[in-house]
Amino acid sequence: MIQKKICLLGASSVGKTSLVQQFVEGIFNEKYLTTIGVKVDRKTLPIANQEINFMLWDMEGNDSYNVFQERYLRGAAGYIIVVDQTRASSLHEGLDIHTLAQQVTNCPAILAINKNDLPATWHLDDSENESYKKLFDLQFSTSAKTGSNVEEMFLALAKLLVRFEKNDITT
Amino acid sequence: MSSHAAKEPTEPEQQLETVRTLILGKENSRITQSIEKDARRIVADVITEALHDRQKKDNSVDKVLQPLVEDSVKHSVAHNSEQMVSSLYPLVGSLVRKSVAAFLSDFMEKTNQLLENSLTVKGLKWRFKARQSGVSYAHYVASQTFVYRVEHVFLIHRETGLLLNSVALDNENKSDADIISAMLTAINDFVGDSFLTEHERPKEQLQAVSTDNFNLLIKPGPSALVVAAVSGNPPQSISNQLQLTVENIHSLYSDELNSFSGDNQDFDNSDNLLRDCLLSEQKIKTSKQKKTPWFAWAILVLVLLYTGYQALNWLKVTELKEKIMRLDNQPGVIIKQLIINDLNNITLDILRDPDALNIRHWLNSNEMNAKKFNIIERSYYSLDPEILRQRAQLIIKAYPNISFNWQDNTLALAGTLDITKTEQLLNTLAIAGFTTEDNLVTEQLQLISAQPIVESQQVKQQIFDELIGRIAAIQLNFSVASEEITPKMHSSLQRLYQYIRQLEPLAQELKINFGLLILGSSDNTGYKAANNIISTKRASNAAAILQQKGLAKDKMFVLGLGQVDIINISSRARTVMFNVMYTNEM
Repeated sequence: MIQKKICLLGASSVGKTSLVQQFVEGIFNEKYLTTIGVKVDRKTLPIANQEINFMLWDMEGNDSYNVFQERYLRGAAGYIIVVDQTRASSLHEGLDIHTLAQQVTNCPAILAINKNDLPATWHLDDSENESYKKLFDLQFSTSAKTGSNVEEMFLALAKLLVRFEKNDITT
Repeated sequence: MSSHAAKEPTEPEQQLETVRTLILGKENSRITQSIEKDARRIVADVITEALHDRQKKDNSVDKVLQPLVEDSVKHSVAHNSEQMVSSLYPLVGSLVRKSVAAFLSDFMEKTNQLLENSLTVKGLKWRFKARQSGVSYAHYVASQTFVYRVEHVFLIHRETGLLLNSVALDNENKSDADIISAMLTAINDFVGDSFLTEHERPKEQLQAVSTDNFNLLIKPGPSALVVAAVSGNPPQSISNQLQLTVENIHSLYSDELNSFSGDNQDFDNSDNLLRDCLLSEQKIKTSKQKKTPWFAWAILVLVLLYTGYQALNWLKVTELKEKIMRLDNQPGVIIKQLIINDLNNITLDILRDPDALNIRHWLNSNEMNAKKFNIIERSYYSLDPEILRQRAQLIIKAYPNISFNWQDNTLALAGTLDITKTEQLLNTLAIAGFTTEDNLVTEQLQLISAQPIVESQQVKQQIFDELIGRIAAIQLNFSVASEEITPKMHSSLQRLYQYIRQLEPLAQELKINFGLLILGSSDNTGYKAANNIISTKRASNAAAILQQKGLAKDKMFVLGLGQVDIINISSRARTVMFNVMYTNEM
């Protein structure tokens, strides 16, 4: 069985835990509980005749008081930066985290713009979009509440990792 | 110039390199070629010794060989099964026997242990405590029976925190091993970074995590951690074993560890190494007596005590019953019912003759406390010989002139007594159960005739009449076709003779002449003539006896009546009747 460590990063209360919960258990809880430290979950995905075991490291949210700790990122096969489309500040914080993360790892990264069931307060214009696309391997607009794009995002990540590994081997 | 000067020091080196290339070939190819040519021979010469030396050094050869051997055996079984079967055949029989024996002994051991643990006080206590602390009984037993036991061993990739392999004692609970290993790594990272003070110093490493039931012992290596979940108090030896395992794994799997990309299949064969860490030590029994199932013994003793008590009680009751039933043999006492509720509450329902012994006295004199008895007593009139004797004794006591003795159960009176007293005595005795027909002999009783006659003529006449009446009341009953005088008839005739003797003086005084009519009769069966004869014979036989006793023949008149034709009587009228015929002297 192939196992992959996947980290979820982002500002606090953007919905990292809810995304994991939606993906692993298929449920959404309105109640907000802040994550302390890290919580690990597991989900097995079937990809091209084999199974990938995702060990999902759901990190505590980072803000000015709780600075991103790269320690948990060690050994990760990929990470997802989660931002909240109702809070513009979460995007900036997410980008900061991404910058920090890239200093310690070069694994694939995904940008998840969460809470797409709620009206957005900010939009990426074309030029912004282009510049972010370069920063991330993939970009998704998700909703942990409705489940929209959640499964798709993780599946795309799995495929990306398999391809990444193959490229890795060939190079 | 300056460039020439810079090249100069490298020239000899270049020359040397050129020479080296000429002699050894490009990249030592000449040497390696010649070695490769003989490689097979060279390795063949030393392979056995090399394996031996390496095995001796760090026991790593068998760990490498084991999966190979397993694979080849698996291959043989799959493809050459017949050959395997025939070569294993001689072994199989004894193997099966051994395994059955092992199973049986294991089963017995387990059953024994189960019984022991469930029947002892300890077992019950453990059950209670296990429930109290919310763990399963088996778990609690393990924690109590083992000083320590390694339940689970994890091999974790240090960099990613991913689980490489894990073994469990009971091959269960493997499902969450990957999450546990990830969380453990997260905690380890957290601890390592939290206490980091200086960048130069190596990161702090978590060595152990303790919970209520478990100690997680962590042995870190450069690329992987071995973690053991231990119940109880782990000794240093586990730590040493973990260290050894970490080292072995690093030496055997260094390439796999370094190139690990998430696929843990490469580590499947590390099972054997990890299993070496599944150590345990059983608690030494603090005392040998601990094995005694006290609880079972206590129950057994209680049962025995109760049975013993019941048996003793039963024995006592039986003994008492026997003792009381002896009362039934006492004359004039009949036990109707005896109920022994317990030894202090006995109901005794009896019939008792007033002349019989006193029940309470008897009980007391027979070592029984009469106070414990509830006696229901009703009176009856007993004809037991002993009671009769007692009663007779009491009656006769009132007559100082009369002595008595017993012939079998017949009372024989002797002595002298006047006629009225005699009558009185005989009457009383008759009421008490003594009759001249059954058990009373009065032949020795003599009447005082010399007694001065004070009675008036009238009284004498009365007595005379009564005697006549008594004589008339005497009747001898014969059996069919018999004229024989039976002993019973003898005593009747004796009485009759006594009456006649008493009559004689009275008759003289009253101036009366009298004679005795003796009438024989027969039933109506048979010939009349024969009946006449037998009736006469019966009468004359009776007369002959009286004559023997001393009654003058001329005072008797014997007559055979033949058959007496009276309804209801005639069929059984085989009798001799007596009658006194008297006339007054003129």
